[in-house]
Order: sequence, then structure tokens, then C-alpha cells
Amino acid sequence: MLLLGPLGFLTPWILIGLAALPVLWLILRAMPPTPKLVRFPGTRLLLGLRDPHPVARHTPWWLLLLRVLAIGALILGAAGPVWKPSPEGAGQGPLLIVMDAGWAAAPDWPQRQARVLRALSRAEAEGQPAAMLIADGRAEGALPFQPAGELAGPLRALRPAAWETRYPPDPEAALAAAPSGLSVLWLSDGLDHPDQAKWLAALTARGNVTVVPPEGPRRALELVPGDQPALRLRTTASGADAPDVLAIGVDPQGTPRELARLSPADPVAEDGVTTRLVPITLPSELRNRITRFEVEGNASAGAVVLADDSLRRRKVALIGDDRASEGQRLLSPLHYLRRALAPTTDLIEGGLGDVLLATPDVIVLADQPGLGEAPALRDWVEQGGLLIRFVGPRMAASERLSDEPLLPVRLRAGGRDVGGALAWGEPRGIEPFAPDGPFAGLEVPGDATVRAQLLAEPAPDLASRTIARLTDGTPLVTRASLGQGQLVLFHTTANAEWSNLAISGLFVEMLDRLVRSARVNRPAAPETDQAEQPFWTPELVLDGFGRVTEAEASAPVAAADFARGPAPGAPAGLYRGGERLKALNAGGPIRPANWHGARIERGTETPGLALRGWLIALAAALFALDALGSAWLARGRQRALA
Amino acid sequence: MSRSAGQLRARAEAATAALPALMLSAERLAAALVPGAHGQRRAGTGEDFWQYRPATTGDTARSIDWRRSARSDAQFVRDREAQVAQSAAIWISAAAGMDYAGSAERQTKRDRAELLALSLTMALLSGGERVALAGQPPRPGRLQADRIAETLVTRPTLDRDDDAPPVEALRPGQRVILFDDFLGDPQPVLDYLARASGLGVQGVLMQVLDPNEEAFPWRGAVLFRSASGAIGHDTRDAAGLRSAYLARLAERRETLSQAARTAGWHFGTHDTGAAPAQALLWLWSVLEG
Repeated sequence: MLLLGPLGFLTPWILIGLAALPVLWLILRAMPPTPKLVRFPGTRLLLGLRDPHPVARHTPWWLLLLRVLAIGALILGAAGPVWKPSPEGAGQGPLLIVMDAGWAAAPDWPQRQARVLRALSRAEAEGQPAAMLIADGRAEGALPFQPAGELAGPLRALRPAAWETRYPPDPEAALAAAPSGLSVLWLSDGLDHPDQAKWLAALTARGNVTVVPPEGPRRALELVPGDQPALRLRTTASGADAPDVLAIGVDPQGTPRELARLSPADPVAEDGVTTRLVPITLPSELRNRITRFEVEGNASAGAVVLADDSLRRRKVALIGDDRASEGQRLLSPLHYLRRALAPTTDLIEGGLGDVLLATPDVIVLADQPGLGEAPALRDWVEQGGLLIRFVGPRMAASERLSDEPLLPVRLRAGGRDVGGALAWGEPRGIEPFAPDGPFAGLEVPGDATVRAQLLAEPAPDLASRTIARLTDGTPLVTRASLGQGQLVLFHTTANAEWSNLAISGLFVEMLDRLVRSARVNRPAAPETDQAEQPFWTPELVLDGFGRVTEAEASAPVAAADFARGPAPGAPAGLYRGGERLKALNAGGPIRPANWHGARIERGTETPGLALRGWLIALAAALFALDALGSAWLARGRQRALA
Repeated sequence: MSRSAGQLRARAEAATAALPALMLSAERLAAALVPGAHGQRRAGTGEDFWQYRPATTGDTARSIDWRRSARSDAQFVRDREAQVAQSAAIWISAAAGMDYAGSAERQTKRDRAELLALSLTMALLSGGERVALAGQPPRPGRLQADRIAETLVTRPTLDRDDDAPPVEALRPGQRVILFDDFLGDPQPVLDYLARASGLGVQGVLMQVLDPNEEAFPWRGAVLFRSASGAIGHDTRDAAGLRSAYLARLAERRETLSQAARTAGWHFGTHDTGAAPAQALLWLWSVLEG
């Protein structure tokens, strides 16, 4: 910035244009006047005459002055004059730049870079060393101070990260090499982050801190888990109007495009953050196509929610004996299945033929021996369907049980009654689930017991097909793949007749896990691994701006790290673990930052009375006057000579 | 400017209002004008005695002047001097350029030419002459002035730059008065003069010009267009053309003046910035002489 007394110029080099004004004066003077059109009967006498010496008529001096003044005002205005600009930065000491580099910094990233570049060029001009703390959680060790000019290159290459801004946990260690009398420029993303207060205190102790707040509000989008999926839009803006949320997916032609536009509901303001719920009220066919939600006009990873398995509603077909009368509803196995599945899935009920026409993702057969012989059902499973079967008295009584097709294991005829009135044993509990199975991590309630079950014939692969077992080691749930699909068998009933599993919360969770593992868009390639994995492999990774980048370079993420949310090494994106596809979304709860003891720069523009607008308005007014004057001149001349 | 025969006539009368003093001061002119009939200095139909001549074969008995014949042996026939009233034909150019007026305060050249023509007509008619517009039969009487005024006013302006006087309307013994700016092609006028002198017709060329056409006051860049727009001349420095234009105008006048002298005609100029009476007086004197 160039300072001339109380007047400062943001881009002083434009003032060179003022030197061109005298030249402009001469050019304007020499401009030929517009010719007049005259009706003259004696024109014939003029034919063939040559102009002796063409003479340009001079523009009146006041018109010239008006034009030159207008252009001068334009040049001055373009140079960004500021009346009494407040001194930039605070001190003259070594410059430390703290750059919040999480997703919240993404929307106005270029402005931030420009602001830092300005500070760097100033520090370079003053010969001060500079250091830059990039708060994306990857900074390590003490910050090196180097000539300010060398930081410009890395700064230009810097991109915001697809996770929250993170500061090094120990400010003292990071600032070990810092000289005293620091001048700190903190490019804040406007949100509060862990360790922020600690860093602010440490920096305030070493120098004066200038905080550059972000331009505009920050927005975060989050998926609200639940029966009825919804999005939660948080913003630091207090205004009444909120941007829409765009649902983007693949249309039937295979082109990614905006499929729907969701409007936020009424806002709830709390602690400076306005929260709005965005219900996802879409038909399930459309919802299954959605790949991501994003806040309109907000290029930030935090404003993007990637859709994963949890969002897609499965179509589940229930087939069973539902002839029980009203009084016996609690005895019907379909009743428990319905109650467990209805909140999270779209249920279809009917005969097998009707149900297959609706192309369900999952078919549940409750105690239906003989139905497995239908070739249509086998085809459906081989094409990727998930068939869940429950046994029951009818299957136990079936004579051809050992020949029953579409079962993961061969069943032994006759049931096993372990807790009945005529049995010796106690009802069996359920063994905790294996950590690598589809039910990994589910908590087994102690009071869930099984009184009767159908046993599998011993076979070499029985153990590998069992995904849940009773405390005595007998299988409770077995699974096998058939073609591209799978067969799952519960060795007990879906009602409370043989087991109280159906009335425990575990039943709901187990069904949920199974249904979620069903494929919605059945991939052509057969699934290679069916076990729950301890690692999540990135399939698709977002950058800080919420754009999709190549996931090839990213390494698999350990499940423990994955559970902690996006972090360095685990950027927001879509991860695959075995059969499940899970999204890691950056957006979450936000809290506005609180700055005590720091000077806050108002906007990225230097404060002071900016005269640019006034000067340009003045130039416009002068040009208007010039137009009026020219018109008046031309009119006067015409009248005089007409 | 709205034009009507009544207005033209009123203005012509206003213009001629200055004439009586003029005529009084020029007694000879007025006296010569009053008779109206002009002796042809030869025998013919008339009222004045011309000569006695011996009767020849073919003279009827009724034509013999017996009183004179009684004084001698031969028979004499009394001849009268042939008398014919003077007729004047007036022509005003209808070219588009005649509608030009250099400023709103001045009359157009055509208005001024019509005013002069009608004033002249009225003066001639009151002198007993027969007057007509070129191509029409000349008639005497005050009503003729009304007719001529009517014709002048209703006559449309041409959209051409040139208008030539009708050669076929020339009659021997006529006096012809041509009003024009003579800024167009001069050749038709020169041909007309040659033809007129061949027929023994005498007359006057009256060049009516606007002061702008005489002074050429323009400066700077000007796009000149003729009245009809057919001819144009663009210049960057009109002031520099002034002397050349004035020289050409003088040359044009000299050509016309020379041709008029050769044909026994008169050539006069009139400026619409000047009073019409001046031109009228000159016309009067020229027609009389």
C-alpha cells in the first residue's frame, strides 16, 4: 500500500496511468469535430473542389477539462484509494501465519490465499522472516522461520483438507524456534476447534495477534440417522433464509445430475449456530439413486453428505402364513418382522409370484417349507438377492426337510427342544458375535434365550457358514452365498414361540445389518469377501472443496480410526468394508470461534474509508455532464448553421 | 409556411404599395406604361391613322376612303397603324432548390420570386398589358392577377434540382421574365436564350439568391447536399472553399450576363435579404427601356 499523507492506495501502480493524462489532453484536442449536414442549393458549384487545408476544430477547453477530470477520477478510483487506512497488521516483527485449513476454510480459500500473500509480500519488503502454521493436523515439530518470499510458493499450492481444522496439540513445542515480538496473522475459518484457545493464549503471549475472520457464514451438513432419514444443516449465519440442499445422483440415463432440491425446515438458533432439519422426503426409487447431498453454492467438504448404505431404503418382501386371526396377531411371525423392518425399509407382502415382480432387495420367508423349490426364487437369489429364512413348526414337521433347497446348510429333521417343559436343559443364551462377522459389535442382551431350534447336519463348512451361534456352539444364524446372492437362515422362529429373540432389540439390529448388506445396485462382479473387515478401503475421496478426487493413493483406514471421523489419512469420502459401503462425512456440529485478546480484522479489505466507489461515481457523473455538454454544443452548432 | 393565393396577393399588394411613389417619381415611365397598346409602325388593324395608299386590286370598295379619293383621280385606301397590346410571360423555376431559405426569418427564394412576379404582374396589368405565366394565354385585366396568384400558389415544387423554362411557349413579340437561382445546369437557359433571340423575344433573367448562397458563411467539416439530395460534396474545411465558391458564382453570373447581352436580354440579381422593391424597380426600368 502506498501512503500519501492520509490517503492510501491499495494498488498504487495504476496511478502511473495519470501520467498519460497530458497525452490524452492532446489527443482529445485534436479530435476532429463531427461534420454537419447542410442542405445547400449551390452544391453544384462546389463539385470537384479540393479542401485547401483541413483544419480540426478545437474542443472547448471546459469540455476537455471535464473529460480529463473524469478519466483522472477513474484512474484514481481504480487505484483503490483509502482515506486514513488503519495500519496493517500490528507489529513490525517476524510474521507468523496461522492458516486454518479444514473444510470450513474452503469456500473463500482464494481470498485467504490472497490475504496471506499480501502479508507475505509486505513482510518480504520489510525483510522480516515468516513462518506458516497450516492447521490441517499434519504439521509436526517446531515451525521453521524463513524468508517470507519462500513461503509464497507452498502457499499457492496449499489446498484445504477434507476434515476439520486441527492445531498441533502442543503450541510450546511448535513455537520453539519462534523469535520474540511476533506479528501473528490468523486466518480463521470462523469455527471453534480443539486447542484453539490454547494456541491463542500462547500466541498472544509472544506477540500481537490479528485475526482475519472468514467472509460469509460457514455451513455444515450432516446426516441424521434414524428411521426417517434427514439432513441437518448448521450455519453460523443468523439470517432467515437458508440455501437449498441439492440431491445429486445418477439419472436413469446414467448421467450424474441434480435429482431433487430439498428445502430446509424452520431454523433453531442456539449459541450462534442456526440449525435446520432437511427432511429427505423422496420416493425410495429416487432416493436409491442419490450419491450425494450438497448445500447449494457452498464449495466445502463439510457441506457435502455422501450417501451410503444407511441411506438407501431396501425393498423387503415378507412371505409367510398370515392367516392368523386378529386375536392371534402376536403369534404370527410376520408381525415381528413387520415391526422390526417397517421403519427402515419398504415392505412388500404377498405371494411369491407377486413379490418377485416388485424386484425386492430382500425376501424374508417365515417358516415356509417347499417354497424354496420355485425356480424363480432361485434365479432371483442367483442374481444377487438376499433370502432370509426363518424356521418354525411347519418346517420342523416337514418330511422332506433334508432335501429342502435354498438353505445355507442342510437341516436335520426334527427340532431340538432345549428349554421346553419336557426338556432337561435350560434355554440357551446367545454367544457374543464374532468380531469379523456381519453382526460384529452388536451387544447381546443377557436375557435373550432360545428354547427350540432346528439343527444343521454336521458338515465341514458348517463352522464357516455360521455367523451367530448359541452358547453351546450350535448355529443360530447361518449364511451361504448362491450365485451373486446369499441365503441366510435363522435356526429359530421369527415369533416368540421358540425364542424370545424376536422381542429383543437385538432382533431389530440383526435384521437391519442383514438387510443393509443386501445389494441395492447389484454389481456384476461377484463379491469376493463376505466377512466384516477391520479395515475400510476408500472408494471415493473428497477434497476440502467437496469435490471428488481419486481414491487410489489413499491407504485403507483402520476401523478404530474410521469411527473417529475424518482425520488426516482418513479424508471424507466413501469407504468400503467388505460388503458394506459407508460414508465418512466431514460436516458435523459446529461452534463459532471466540476471540479474546486478539484484534479482529474487519473483512479482508483493509479498513478505512474506501474512496473507490465515490471516485467512480464522480467519474460517471462527469461523463454524464460531458455527454450533456457535447449534446448542447452539437445542438447549438446545428441551430446556428441550419 | 402556409401558402394561399389570398396571402400571396396581399403581400404582393403590400410590395407594390411602395410602387406608386416610384411611378410618380418616374413620370415618364408611368406615362409610357399607361397606353397599353403599342403601335407596330406598320399598317394593320388599329385605331390610329397610318397612311393613305393607292388602292390596289383586291381592296374592297368599302375600304376606299372616298373623301381622300375625291381630291384626286386615283382611289386611296386609308390604312391604320397596326396596334397590338404588349404581352409579358413570366416563368418561375419550380426546382427544389428554390424552396431554400438560409434562416427562419428570411423568405424562401421561391416565395420571393413569386412575390416579385405577382407585383410585376399587377403593375403590368394595371398598365393595360396582358400578362400570363409562360405557356398560358396572356390576358389583360385585374382578374388575371388573381388567376396567376392562384396558379403560383398551387403549383407543386419539383423534386429535381433543375427546372428549365419551356422553349415551346415562346411567342414572337413577347417579353419574358425568368425568375430562377440559376444554380443548376446553365445549358438549358443558354439554349433558351439563343432560341428567344432567334424569335426576337426579349426579356429579363432575374437571379434570386439567398444571402447564404452569396456569402457562403460555413466553417469546419460540412456535408453539403443539394436540395433534392442528388448532388453532394463533403468537406473538412468549408471556410477554405469560400473563395473558390464565390469565384465560381461570379463566373456563372458572368456567363449568364454575357449570354443575355448577346440575346438582347437583361440579367439582374436579387438577394432575398434585400427589400423586394429594389428588384421591382430594376425590373420595371429594364422592361420599360
